[in-house]
Amino acid sequence: MYIIKNAWLSLIRNKGRNLLIGIIILVLSIATCITLAIRSSADQLVNSYNSKYDIEATLGMNRDNMMKDFTPGEKPTEDEQSEQEKPQMPEIESLTVSEIEKYGDSEYVKNYYYTYRFNMNANIEKLSSSNSDDKRMDKKADDMNSGDFVVMGYDSYESMSDFISGKYTISDGEVSSDFTSDSCIISSELASSNDLKVGDTITLISPNNEELTYDLKITGIYKENEEDSDSMGQMFSDSANMIITNKTVSEVIRTLDEDISMILSPTFILTSEDVVDSFSEELANKGLSEYYQVQTNLETINSETASIQNVAHFAGVFLIITLIIGGVVLFVLNMINVRERKYEIGVLRTIGMTKLSVSCQFVVELLIVTFISITLGIGIGSVLSVPTANYLLENEIESSQQAQTQVQQNFGGPQGEEANRPMGRDGGRMNGVMSLDKVTSMNAVVDIKVILQLFGIGLLLTVISSLSAIVSIARFSPLTILRERS
Amino acid sequence: MNVLELKNVSYMYDDGNEYVLKDISFAFEKGKVYAIKGRSGSGKTTLLSLISGLEKYKIGNIIYQGKELNAINLDYYRSHSIGIVFQSFNLLPHLTALENVVLSMEINHIKENKKEKAIQLLEEVGIDQTKANRRVLKLSGGEQQRVAIARSLSYNPDIIIADEPTGNLDHETENDIMEIFTELAHKQNKCVIIVTHSKNVASQADIVFELKKSSKRK
Ligand SMILES: Nc1ncnc2c1ncn2[C@@H]1O[C@H](COP(=O)(O)OP(=O)(O)OP(=O)(O)O)[C@@H](O)[C@H]1O
Ligand SMILES: [Mg+2]
Repeated sequence: MYIIKNAWLSLIRNKGRNLLIGIIILVLSIATCITLAIRSSADQLVNSYNSKYDIEATLGMNRDNMMKDFTPGEKPTEDEQSEQEKPQMPEIESLTVSEIEKYGDSEYVKNYYYTYRFNMNANIEKLSSSNSDDKRMDKKADDMNSGDFVVMGYDSYESMSDFISGKYTISDGEVSSDFTSDSCIISSELASSNDLKVGDTITLISPNNEELTYDLKITGIYKENEEDSDSMGQMFSDSANMIITNKTVSEVIRTLDEDISMILSPTFILTSEDVVDSFSEELANKGLSEYYQVQTNLETINSETASIQNVAHFAGVFLIITLIIGGVVLFVLNMINVRERKYEIGVLRTIGMTKLSVSCQFVVELLIVTFISITLGIGIGSVLSVPTANYLLENEIESSQQAQTQVQQNFGGPQGEEANRPMGRDGGRMNGVMSLDKVTSMNAVVDIKVILQLFGIGLLLTVISSLSAIVSIARFSPLTILRERS
Repeated sequence: MNVLELKNVSYMYDDGNEYVLKDISFAFEKGKVYAIKGRSGSGKTTLLSLISGLEKYKIGNIIYQGKELNAINLDYYRSHSIGIVFQSFNLLPHLTALENVVLSMEINHIKENKKEKAIQLLEEVGIDQTKANRRVLKLSGGEQQRVAIARSLSYNPDIIIADEPTGNLDHETENDIMEIFTELAHKQNKCVIIVTHSKNVASQADIVFELKKSSKRK
């Protein structure tokens, strides 16, 4: 006990000596605090990005495998180049609902949805551009059904990725939130050429059988974003002849006319990015044609978080460097300190204090200084870390808020006050749209765990830097002060 | 009975090339004041450091109360059996006189009435309470040496050794200090060993040993 008392006395009566050490530890702990705050806000950003993006797996064409079957065993040579340019792809069976359900029933899949795409005629005029082949028309659908219009069936806002991305935006009306209603939206070009407006009704006609019809009410008019359009030099956009409706409508039409060939595009929301390969393997085992391959949006996600992760990484490196430099400075300071205190060590040793006790006293002194400085440092650091974190988050918060409002406008949702109405099926969150909140209290960035970590680091630094003291105390011969004259 | 005995002690520093002490044999008893004289460099301080266990002897024997000194715990020995007084007092400057004495008691794990005992000890060597509560740096050299003596007595050791305790003090004060030492030996039955250049000090001792400068090469 007297060791602690003695340490305390020696501390408060030699304030100047400990001031420098205290200040250094203070600065170190403020820096550590802020760095940890930067890290934690970076983590928060990465997390919100990760939740912003679900990991979506879609099934795309595996061109390599298709090519292999096209020219089995033959390596294409220069001469065959021209033949290569227009390869005749092998027939690909379209996915069926039961197949998709089978694939979706997997431990790796959180959720899945699929969209329909098929061709129909209608009681309105088709827009034909000067380049008569409609590139966007699916070749197969074109050949077999030769319907004038492409009909898309979605089952949620979430699945309408072209609206989320802003490729299409609603210019009038809205996308009905009832995905079972007999409603549709059409392009502004189609609307104007046929003199249609929101509230009008159009009739879809089966290309195989004119008797089979289906009425849809127009709830919205969309237009294609010019930047995203690849219809340069054409009179109409690619999507001019696209009628967007919902899954329920699509399913009913199929029961009416089983000959209509429908292309189903499933999207599987995976549980985590680690399961992509396993999921891929599982699909192959479940019998997915090798002409399909699993494609994910991982690249997009990672490219968005890369810069933030860099910041977090840099903050970590900065922290380590700071701590190393701080440790070295403390070590040297302690060495100088101990040199100055040789006399004291000698006195304590000659009056019978053991090396261990003297070392203990020095460590306790340093611990007290460390403790006080870290406590102060956390106080100051946490006050500073809130604006630091907010500064980092600021841009992201702003853009995320803009994105949310923007997306709602794309769907023709309510604006102004009411714009905060949640959209999407799981509690307002929509893939590709994140919500970020401003840090308002310091425990958001500097929590108990961080504080404990800081004290742990402080303890470690103290022990390391007192090593110099302990070593010189152990090597110090009290005899030297016996020889000292005044 | 001898409390401390040196038998044929020779000593050479590790980095020295000659014996500082050569074949020394002294015996010390309780209740007496010993003075160790000798020219500068004759090895007086070296002898004290051996006696106080600050340095380990390699040749000969030092016997404390029948036990070989090298075989006992020297930290314990220094903090219980022997009190050391230095020429330069060697008090802790950031503490008061009282705290210096109390700290020494605490190192010796004395639990009861530390403060009272320390005040009493300081009074015995002529330091009153106001001075006892002053930082030692604000005391005169003579007063500091008294505090150092009080400190060396704080755990009631058998032996007090002092290396030129009056070397920095004037004649008058020297006599005062010597008075304290002789009283300690004669009234409290301590063994007091004083290294000194001063004839005055030597004359007040009961027994005087003289160290001859050893010049023998090894
Ligand atoms: N640590 C050491 N290493 C080597 N030689 C030493 C060491 N300390 C002292 N000596 C030598 O030992 C000899 C005796 O030194 P010591 O201090 O014991 O003499 P002293 O009698 O106390 O002298 P003084 O009266 O001047 O204090 C000297 O020649 C000194 O140079
Ligand atoms: Mg000497």
